[in-house]
Amino acid sequence: MENAIEAINLTKYYGDLCAVDHINFEVKKGEIFGFLGPNGAGKTTTIRMLTSLTKLSEGTARIFGYDIQSQTIAAKRRMGIVPEISNIYDDLSAWDNLMFTGELYQVSKPEREKRARETLEMFGLYDRRNSKAKGFSKGMKRRLTLSMGLINTPQLLFLDEPTSGLDVQSALIIKDVVRELNQKGVTIFLTTHDIEEANVTCDRVAIIHKGKIAAIDTPEKLKKTIQSVQSVEIAFDKISPEALKELEKIPSVNEVRKEGDKFRLYTHDPANVLSGLWEYAKTNDLKPISLTTLGPSLEDVFVRLTEIDVKTNKEEI
Amino acid sequence: MSEKFPMEQLKTDLSASWAIAKKDMRIYYIKPGTLMFGILFPLFMFLSFAVGKNAPVATLIPGLISITILFSSSSIGPMVIPTERRVKTFERLVSAPISFYSIILGKTLGGFLFSLAIGVIPLLIGVVLFETQIISLLALITGLALASYCFATLGIMFASFPTENPGDIMMLLNFVRLPLIFISGLYIPIESLPDWGQVAAAFSPLSYANDLIRYSLEGKTFYGPVLDVAVLFFFTAVFLYVGIRLDRKFRK
Repeated sequence: MENAIEAINLTKYYGDLCAVDHINFEVKKGEIFGFLGPNGAGKTTTIRMLTSLTKLSEGTARIFGYDIQSQTIAAKRRMGIVPEISNIYDDLSAWDNLMFTGELYQVSKPEREKRARETLEMFGLYDRRNSKAKGFSKGMKRRLTLSMGLINTPQLLFLDEPTSGLDVQSALIIKDVVRELNQKGVTIFLTTHDIEEANVTCDRVAIIHKGKIAAIDTPEKLKKTIQSVQSVEIAFDKISPEALKELEKIPSVNEVRKEGDKFRLYTHDPANVLSGLWEYAKTNDLKPISLTTLGPSLEDVFVRLTEIDVKTNKEEI
Repeated sequence: MSEKFPMEQLKTDLSASWAIAKKDMRIYYIKPGTLMFGILFPLFMFLSFAVGKNAPVATLIPGLISITILFSSSSIGPMVIPTERRVKTFERLVSAPISFYSIILGKTLGGFLFSLAIGVIPLLIGVVLFETQIISLLALITGLALASYCFATLGIMFASFPTENPGDIMMLLNFVRLPLIFISGLYIPIESLPDWGQVAAAFSPLSYANDLIRYSLEGKTFYGPVLDVAVLFFFTAVFLYVGIRLDRKFRK
């Protein structure tokens, strides 16, 4: 099966700094591939190399078999790019933005008009097609950027943080369209900070940290690699200010996090923690109103692999 | 697995260049910065030195056309490219399946067409109000077109510096444009300049543009129209080459 993307020893130096360090991965045709990593890990640099916006310092990248450095135009013709920042022309209408992008991609006039109508309807912007983009909300601009990324009917779509900071409606529309596109056979390369989004959307994910691939697999297989990290989530009818400290004292609890009105207790022995919790509730006259035992999440895998200290929310030096 | 044939790619690139030029015309021609640096600045610059001079107005028309073309054509690139870098729309062009040359051609076409349209205004004023005569239409069209394209590439060369602020480029560019006005025979014919002035004039593309336009309207020339055309082609090639090299250097 031909790969949509092949990255071989992909490397980028900025002066002495190695932003992306000899990474290797493949994205299969028709896959939704998630690229996760903390800020500065090398996600955007990798996308920029794969889309020929930045030159490779070392290595090779191929898009549907076309070398991105020597067969750049052929490779670019097969991709759509939706960058993190909505790069649309504010002084043009939504329709004219699409017509211009279609012209750049040599889409014939009848075809680009048809695609523009389809994509604007898909993203709920058709009624605003003649409005200048400067009057659009952030979510509408994002949806227009996506429409522009689809004008050439790409086989591969690069999405850099597609739903970051968006209103619920825009985020839902975008997620639906991404799924729909994938069902039609479009390969998706997605970077996101939203680990839950990657968990439910992606066929496979790669976690990049300090310019290197820390792990690459399906979300479920990645979770199995840290089966020792399990947790118990509990909510009580009352919350005492001392609860966090008290809960940390329960035997077998490694760490406690307060998540809204709930507490999440990390452990390798959930059964032992449950009896400790029962004692704690009885002693403090509390009633549990919800209780769930949870396996490791993709976020746990991410935290483990990227060495993020969750208490300080900073990476370990 | 192959790329398009060269002729097919050339057609594609030319069509993309035209799309870029059309888009720039729609968005940027009426921006305050363009109007200020492209029209008002050269007009007032010229008036401030020409008013009160004891010379027939008709003899000042070639200089007014030259200075208008210099400022209008070289202002579009430095206005558009840094602005598009800031809002990341320049990346949209770079990520499209077209060659970098087609982007450069599109951007220079924007300056070229703007300048042609603006440069015709002082010509019409001269012809209608001050009895300026067109002695060689061919030289006039060649002069207007070559000068417009040459100075558009000058603007593109400066716009290659990796800034997101048009003001940075305009400041740098004015360090070059303003001295050019004084050494290129716009106010004093080159033949009347001292020896050192004539040597300096030989290094200015504006000297050749002005000489060619002056030839087309007055029949007078210092370098000769053939040399004017050749040197303008040479400067255009140099500006394009340096601009593309600088862009490659900075866009690593």
